Amino acid sequence: MFSFKWFKKKSPWILHYNAGSCNGCDIEILACLSPKYDLERFGVINCGNPKQADIFLVTGPVTYRSRERLIQLYTQIPEPKVVIAVGSCACTGGIFRSMYNVEDGIDRYIPVDVYTPGCASSPELIMDAVIQAVDIFEHKNQQLQSAKKLYRQPVFEQGRFCVSNVAKSLKDKDE
Amino acid sequence: MKKNIQIPLGSQHIALVEPVKFRFECENERIKEVSSDVGFVHRGVEQACVSKFKFDAIPYVVARVCGLCAITHSLAYTQTIEEMLEVELNDKIQYLRTLMIELDRIHSHMLCLAHVCENAGFEAMFMDIMAKREPIMTLQELISGNRIQFDYISIGGVNRDITPEIQKRGLEILAALKEEILLYIHEFQNNWSLSLKYKGVGVLTLDEAMSYNAIGPLARASGLATDVRAETSRLPYDKIGYEMVLEHTGDVFARNQVRLKEILNSIAMCENIFEGLPQGEIQQKVKGKPNGESLVRLEAPRGELMYYVKGNAKPMLERVRIKTPTFSCIPAFMEVFKEEVYADAPAILASFDPCLSCTAK
Repeated sequence: MFSFKWFKKKSPWILHYNAGSCNGCDIEILACLSPKYDLERFGVINCGNPKQADIFLVTGPVTYRSRERLIQLYTQIPEPKVVIAVGSCACTGGIFRSMYNVEDGIDRYIPVDVYTPGCASSPELIMDAVIQAVDIFEHKNQQLQSAKKLYRQPVFEQGRFCVSNVAKSLKDKDE
Repeated sequence: MKKNIQIPLGSQHIALVEPVKFRFECENERIKEVSSDVGFVHRGVEQACVSKFKFDAIPYVVARVCGLCAITHSLAYTQTIEEMLEVELNDKIQYLRTLMIELDRIHSHMLCLAHVCENAGFEAMFMDIMAKREPIMTLQELISGNRIQFDYISIGGVNRDITPEIQKRGLEILAALKEEILLYIHEFQNNWSLSLKYKGVGVLTLDEAMSYNAIGPLARASGLATDVRAETSRLPYDKIGYEMVLEHTGDVFARNQVRLKEILNSIAMCENIFEGLPQGEIQQKVKGKPNGESLVRLEAPRGELMYYVKGNAKPMLERVRIKTPTFSCIPAFMEVFKEEVYADAPAILASFDPCLSCTAK
């Protein structure tokens, strides 16, 4: 039987965006995908299209010109989505903190789920982050699929108006 | 029927990780006009160097201009300061610095070769080259403590020494890599499907290379003999067996050949350094504050890197100017794209090995 839930659980795809980094973390992400570390054995695939992605890997401090694209990419990824900030620049701004063209970390603009420290983050750290992100993704997916209650259950008190009283009175009228 | 189309490539494009934006004006499938936009990763490093950090912290700041050639940036800056402070360094420090800069060149060239293969549609070759690159990263980690962005060089010396075990392990890794590179040279020359994408594609002639001031492997693939390593004498390149690599066809194939042969040359130089490392201290005392101005040129993996530093006997410098290789090469890039098929654009672009975080700083 076709189960959409099963597919989403097993293979979340990655989108990688360079928001102004020094290429250090980017080549470490590339090294993660290469045979020595091989991130793809956890079922994740690096894709270029935000519409197909589930996990968003961002490197670098956000520069003035890349922030618009960062938000565009984030909004184009369908729910549920997980954001990983790779490297100390993406977490806090790192050595570029409070330079004139830099926005000090991506969590000023988009919510971040996993922070990865290090300059540059080593492949082991990035892999740990992605495995955590896969867990968070599964959790978010379950939350999204459970039924949502839009109203609060009214508390029953004697002599006061509530939903069950109305239902009871309606029932009496019918009889 | 002729039809003009405008096609953008980057920023955030599947074929391109680097944050650069090209706009191709195409007539049917041929590219006629190119315009580029490089400012996406401008962070303001030059301004920060003269307002936020003192001169002895800047080697670690300018290393973050670029992750691939970090060591070249910090070395070029350190040499300007040492020239102003009139420090004479011993042979061991110079040899260790040369060793790291050549190891950096090997891994940078291999990454570029892998990228060219991926963008030409040869995924298996990409994975293979990336796997063979890992031992070099391990060697860098053994020597300096970090895979990339190793802050190995400081003013007056280097931060770590080499032990005999590392020396032995390094020689083993380099000997194994040499075999692999010889196989790759054979593969790149004789593989039929690679030759379709590489031979005669993206040609930069010698005249164009001279008039558009191409540098680095791009110029050497067209037959233009420019290499800072052969021109200046700050590092002991003449003692450890440096040879210039030249190709004459100027296409993607020639650029790959230049990179592969340069890797072989770098391996030979690293082996010479490991075998004949002189004795001595790894850190020398430096006194005073930089006064005056100084200019240093170094050969980064992508070409000539130039640093101009001006100080006036204060902890804060007056001016730091960085001129990076990719920035000088952009006019030549734009010329190569004209009259090529749009489908080849990603592979040609990867064969330049552009580094946009250097360019925008």
